[in-house]
Amino acid sequence: MIEQIRAKAREILENKTVDLVIGYQLGTRGAVRPAFVYTPDEVDRLVWNEACTHNLAAYLHAKRVPAKRGAPAPRIGLVLKACDGRALNVLLRENQVPREELYLIGVVCQGMQQPAGLQGRSLSQASPSGQLQLRCQACTERVPPAYDVLVGDPAGQKIDAAAQARQGALEQELQRLDGLSAAERRAFWDGEFERCLRCYACRQACPGCYCTECTAEQLDPEWVGIGIAIPEKRFFHTMRAYHLAGRCIGCDECARVCPVGVRLDLLNAWMRREVQRTFGYQAGMDATSPAPLTTFRPDEDLKL
Amino acid sequence: MTDFITHAQLRDWLAALGGTHTLIAPRQVTPELVVYQAVHSPDDIAFGFSRAALSPKEFFLPATEAILTVERVRQLAAGDGSAQPDWEVRLAEPGMERDQVVFGIRPCDAHALTALDALLLKDPADAYYARRRERTALIGLACQQMGATCFCTSLGFTPDDRQGMDVMLVATGDGYALDTLTDKGQAITAGLNPADYKGEPPAREWPPAEFKVPPRQVWTRLFKDPYWGELADRCLSCKICAYVCPTCRCFDVRDYTVAQTPAYQKIERLRCWDACMADGYRRIAGGHNPRPDKLERLRNRFYCKFDYYPADFGPLACVGCGRCIDHCPVNVDVTEVLDAVNARS
Amino acid sequence: MMENPYLPYLGRLAGIQPLGTGIKLFKFQFDDPAAAREFSYRPGQFAFVSAFGVGEAPFGITSVTGLDDTVDFAVAKVGTVTRALHEMRPGDRVGLRGPMGNWFPLDAVKGNNVIFLGGGIGGAPLRPVITSILHDRDSYGDMIILWAARNPNLLVFTSEYDTWRQAPRTQLHLTVDEGTDGWSGNVGLITQLLQQVKPSPDNASVIICGPPIMIHFAILELQKMGFSSDQIITTLEAKMKCGIGKCGRCNVGEKYVCLHGPVFTYTEIKDFLESFV
Repeated sequence: MIEQIRAKAREILENKTVDLVIGYQLGTRGAVRPAFVYTPDEVDRLVWNEACTHNLAAYLHAKRVPAKRGAPAPRIGLVLKACDGRALNVLLRENQVPREELYLIGVVCQGMQQPAGLQGRSLSQASPSGQLQLRCQACTERVPPAYDVLVGDPAGQKIDAAAQARQGALEQELQRLDGLSAAERRAFWDGEFERCLRCYACRQACPGCYCTECTAEQLDPEWVGIGIAIPEKRFFHTMRAYHLAGRCIGCDECARVCPVGVRLDLLNAWMRREVQRTFGYQAGMDATSPAPLTTFRPDEDLKL
Repeated sequence: MTDFITHAQLRDWLAALGGTHTLIAPRQVTPELVVYQAVHSPDDIAFGFSRAALSPKEFFLPATEAILTVERVRQLAAGDGSAQPDWEVRLAEPGMERDQVVFGIRPCDAHALTALDALLLKDPADAYYARRRERTALIGLACQQMGATCFCTSLGFTPDDRQGMDVMLVATGDGYALDTLTDKGQAITAGLNPADYKGEPPAREWPPAEFKVPPRQVWTRLFKDPYWGELADRCLSCKICAYVCPTCRCFDVRDYTVAQTPAYQKIERLRCWDACMADGYRRIAGGHNPRPDKLERLRNRFYCKFDYYPADFGPLACVGCGRCIDHCPVNVDVTEVLDAVNARS
Repeated sequence: MMENPYLPYLGRLAGIQPLGTGIKLFKFQFDDPAAAREFSYRPGQFAFVSAFGVGEAPFGITSVTGLDDTVDFAVAKVGTVTRALHEMRPGDRVGLRGPMGNWFPLDAVKGNNVIFLGGGIGGAPLRPVITSILHDRDSYGDMIILWAARNPNLLVFTSEYDTWRQAPRTQLHLTVDEGTDGWSGNVGLITQLLQQVKPSPDNASVIICGPPIMIHFAILELQKMGFSSDQIITTLEAKMKCGIGKCGRCNVGEKYVCLHGPVFTYTEIKDFLESFV
């Protein structure tokens, strides 16, 4: 598969379909990291393996697109996994990225492995255990929803009973939270947020968080103070979860990058479940369907 | 003269210290995470830890700290009441309740405090950091081996270095070799009854340094090199590297009203961790931002550590702890940067 | 400076005067006369003014020790702290931390002709320098003051212009980007005014205060006119939180504006790794 990815990348750079290909490459100490390839002779840097976990759609935001000051935003070729493709759909639907300036090299994904976690859980290096990430264990759709070329055999996807079981396990975690009293649930989340440093890695890694000035950092008006303390952290995480409601596609990058292991995957999973139950809606399946929280339908009866 | 204490003696000693001091020690807070926390009993201590995910810097420079409290009290208006009410203003410096003891601080983190001293204790000294440093004793614990991302030996010291410690412990099979190094160390070991350490205290050979820190002139020459742009492409401008770093100290300051009635207002001036990596870090009122690009911010971080900080304050602002390598979600690896700078020198 | 450098002096706004559109002059008076006596500063230094409950911000001091009995600041309303200050009334209580930073090398330029380039509110730190020279007039050569603003309502210290014009061996030239009704003076950028006035670089020093982009273009123009880097002195601004070299925010390369500045010669600035613009 990697040869096909490299060949396609070389082709679109040579014929100037794109100015830049964003994919994955080997890093230091066995890690894999995002790759930015600007010329055809560099495409051999690109790799494809089970450590390619980063959601590259996060690099398409206006403020993170690699661009020299004053130059126009580059046309980008993107090595695209299924989940990243769903994130891209959200960005397309929200008019954050022009589709015509992207060339999508879709790849059929076999799942990403859990990070090694020497100290924390965010090192981009596959764990020797070989276990898939929780989100990958539960994943049932491993072909990107849209692509310009597809690498890999869609028929070869391994979706099986284990995925159903993993979804069941995630559902169980959510049900355990449901079973707590409000006070107990608050204590659980406070325990998580206690460790939070407000480093904003979760926000920066998230494709859905692209505000040029985050509500959590705005000073005028000041919605939340600068304190790295429980009241502010509750506000930030709850607010971010709400801002992602109906938009989060469940890549769990937020949880992976957190240096102290806050269970953001669980928080966003809860919100996705609520959106599914209330609106029958799952984010990112296509780039055009109206999203529930930004669409007003006079005939809607939510039976809340 | 080196002393010896058993593990049981260590536990008792720490329990006793916890009665009079805030005892800070490594604690397993999730199955994967050890951090330094104030603990209430030696049972909470993760004695077998290697390197905590975060340094104990937050006990010297807290993530959130009040640096001033202000009370405004409205005075009763004299006379006909048409005069604008006057407000009395009282300022207070927040206090520090107890002395602190940090158990299990590693040589890298102790070196980091010494590096921070060069800036924060420089005249005019940061009163709050100075007070915490003054009132905290450090019980160091030598490392048994270097971690996969550790590179302290490349910064000129070893994983069993004693610099900055008040008491130094080296684990032996059955207990600890203990050396009291300073007056503060004497004060906290006063109640301890150690035996003499029999034989030669343990010493280790460490592997040679793997990396070379380029001298300042090399960094200066490479400021406009395209390497920084290539490096910054994948940077997410999160603040993880700065927040886990034991020598990063940048902070933000803002006032908050914590109590208010028509005749009374209590305000806290808070300072909180901040990082030069953030987008709006240098944006001024009016909107101008002298570091709008990721490239400029990421480059500033490395230059601050290896060029500006030593130029202005003396020591390097890196101690080779490797936490930034562990935690960067996109594998921006400081040792790779050092190699790259050397290669281009 | 207090022993704890984060503790401000307490005082009141003894006076608040309009200086221009959205610009006011604030006159700080210490509660404690002993503090007032011990607080001495030189032209170029700055201090943090606290609007308690909102925060603090750094401002260049525009008064002169010994000549003014208050500590004065020219403040434009651009953000949260400045807005809070602008809403205050005379008598309101504020805090002051300082003095901070270095100062203009007035001794070093004695005997020289001194040329001033001021840009809008950014030029306010020039006022104490001009005042100090006027009080020691014979120690300095000619004074040529060029002041620019976007429009006439943003020219500051207009009440002192006659004093400046009438002082011996002193010229004042003004220019605005856009005139208004009643403006009969120059219209154009400060660089154009500079070309018109054509001050000689012989035995001269130039002090520039204004927005970074103005400083940048003024320096280019001065270099064309034959001024050397040593002759050009300026003051930089940056976002600051502590003013005493701890918070790490104000560095331009290895130089901290609060510790090594805010006054710098161009000789120093041209070696900065980062651009100050």
